Parts: sequence; structure tokens; C-alpha cells
Amino acid sequence: MHIPDGILPAQVCVAGYAVTGLATWYSLGQINRRPDPSADIPKASLLTAAFFVASSIYIPLPPASVHLTLNGLLGVVLGYFAFPAIVIGLFFQALALGHGGLTSLGVNAAMMGLPALLAYHLFQARNSLGRPLREPARTGLFAFLGGALGVGLAVLIFLSLIILNIPAEVEAKAERAALLALSLSHLPLIGVEGLFTALLVLFLRRVKPELLEG
Amino acid sequence: MRRILSLLAAIAATLITPRPGWSHGVQLEYQLVNQVQIQARYDSGTPMAQAQVLVYAPGAASSPWSRGTTDAQGRFSFSPDANQPGYWQVMVRQAGHGQSVTVPVGKVTAAPGAKPPTAGLGQRWLPIAAVIWGFVGTALFFSRRSQPRHADSRGPDSRGKP
Repeated sequence: MHIPDGILPAQVCVAGYAVTGLATWYSLGQINRRPDPSADIPKASLLTAAFFVASSIYIPLPPASVHLTLNGLLGVVLGYFAFPAIVIGLFFQALALGHGGLTSLGVNAAMMGLPALLAYHLFQARNSLGRPLREPARTGLFAFLGGALGVGLAVLIFLSLIILNIPAEVEAKAERAALLALSLSHLPLIGVEGLFTALLVLFLRRVKPELLEG
Repeated sequence: MRRILSLLAAIAATLITPRPGWSHGVQLEYQLVNQVQIQARYDSGTPMAQAQVLVYAPGAASSPWSRGTTDAQGRFSFSPDANQPGYWQVMVRQAGHGQSVTVPVGKVTAAPGAKPPTAGLGQRWLPIAAVIWGFVGTALFFSRRSQPRHADSRGPDSRGKP
């Protein structure tokens, strides 16, 4: 679910870089406010590597095979570190694996990074929104929702960007039908990523809960 | 009897003689053409079936010279106009995924887009640089001051300060 080079018009690619630049600046500012900004770098590095590798792991979910995204997981576990981690991961994916592209890097980073930040805020709101629930169900449920929200929102942004920018020479009806099939094939992935995020967060909560304080 | 024999002979002759209107023969003709075949797959190996294909002639990037769709195996063939030598651009697209390839037709030496954009520098040196940076970054991280930044700037007992 990466937008490659040559699919979107130049204006959209420039706008994507502008949004990504602003979001990276804001995220780095938030990280710099911490008492020790470099304390979470090993955690962020590890999950950046996991994000980089995840796009090469294909899951056969009929009728298609889709690859993991893990942007929601990064948001839940890393907080504001998630955005620069996604930018770096996407840059390496574009250069080394050919997933996405350098002109569409800004758009892809905004498409996956902004939902990751939303997933982080949703997970952080678990103590206020999920007050009626007991632990560990509360943490597990909000981790699931964060993981699912990350990839679900990214799919929606992907669909909107492609549908709104179908070139005149491409048959729009066939492209829309293919997009519908692609989005349907990603529905199970939303559940898979939510479940994976919940399992990881519950594991971290048991063995090293300070990693989730973010 | 002779009449019957001559009638049978006439019927046999009629059946044996090839008649174009009655027979179910097949005529085959061939023509040597300069054809380009495209094979489109996702990087997972799955063929891009029923993907849209746009073919652009050299120097005419605004409107496609031809268009079509790939078959179930992700294949598409076209015969470029030999009177338009140069770099032909073929774009395959489906559901926001796609790639374009440059095909040299006629008297051209090398295609500028013949190599995939990810080959070469990125795939060869990037993993090496990433591994080296991993070691350097890990060393830098563990050699940093262990105290929080604010405590470092004020505290007399922070490392590296008298």
C-alpha cells in the first residue's frame, strides 16, 4: 500500500512533502520537550527496522495477498517517535525495496504517519475513555483500536488520493473497481494489525511496562 | 447398371474434389511484425491481471498512442509503429499501483529507463551503509551521557564535567 512514483500529479507530491515536513518538525519538537529526548532511540530504531521489514512480509488473505504496514503499532508504542521512524523506514523501502518512490515519499509518509499519531493519542486516552474497563482488557482493547485505526485510516487516505487523482487517459470505471477490490482485500489486514498490536502491547505491559509510558 | 455406376462415380468425384465452400479447412497466414510483449507482476510475484496499459509513442507523452489491458497472466503485446523510432513508454496501472518502462524501437542504442530505478546504488550500497550506521549509532548511543539533559547541564556530578 505504497503509492509509487508517477501515479500522483506533481502538486500532490509537493503538498505531501510540505505536510510531512510540518509533521516531522512538530514531532521532533514534542520529542525534544522530554527530559531525555534520546532515551527512546533504541526502541524507535528497533521498530523502524520492523516497519522496514514488514512491507516485505506478505500475508495471503483471500482474495489477494497483502503486506503488513505496522504504522498503528508504531504510533501506539513509539508516540511522536513514530513519525520520523515512518519517514526513515519509507525512505529505505523506496531505495532498497522499490516500495513507494522518492517523489511520493512525502505523500506516503503523511498517509501512514498521521494515522500513527492519531493511534498514539487514541491509545493514550485509554485511561479516560476506557475507564469502565478493567486492566489488562483496557490496554489490550485500545492497543487493538490503535493498530486497526492506523492501517484503516491509511487505506482510506490511499483510496481518496488515488480516486481524486485518476488521470483522464486512464479508464476511471475500471480503476475504481480495482480500488474497491484492493480496499476489500485490506479489511482483514485491519483486524490482523489490530490483533498483532494488542498482543505486542500486552506482552510489553507484562515484561516491561515502562516502554508503554510514552 | 452402367447408369448407376456412372452416378456413383460422379458422386465420388464430387466428394473427393476439394470445394472451398464445403470443406472446414483452415487458412493460416503469417506476417513478420516487430512486437513488444510486456509482463507485469506485483513484487509478490502475482501477475497484474486485467491491469490498464497505456502506450506512448516517442515525443507524444500527452496522449496515449494505444491502450489496452493485460491478460490473466499479466501479459500485454503491441506492435509499435516502425516509422516512429525512439523510446516508447509503456505504463501499466491498477488500483493506484503501477510502473512504466521505456522500450527502444528502431535505431536507438540504450534505453534511459531500461534499468529499474531501485537497482544499482540503492540496492547495493544502502544495506552496507545502514549496517555501518547501525554500529556507529549504537556506539554513539551507549557513549552518550546517561543522565537526563537538564540534570547534565546543572548537576556538578554529571559525567564528563569536573
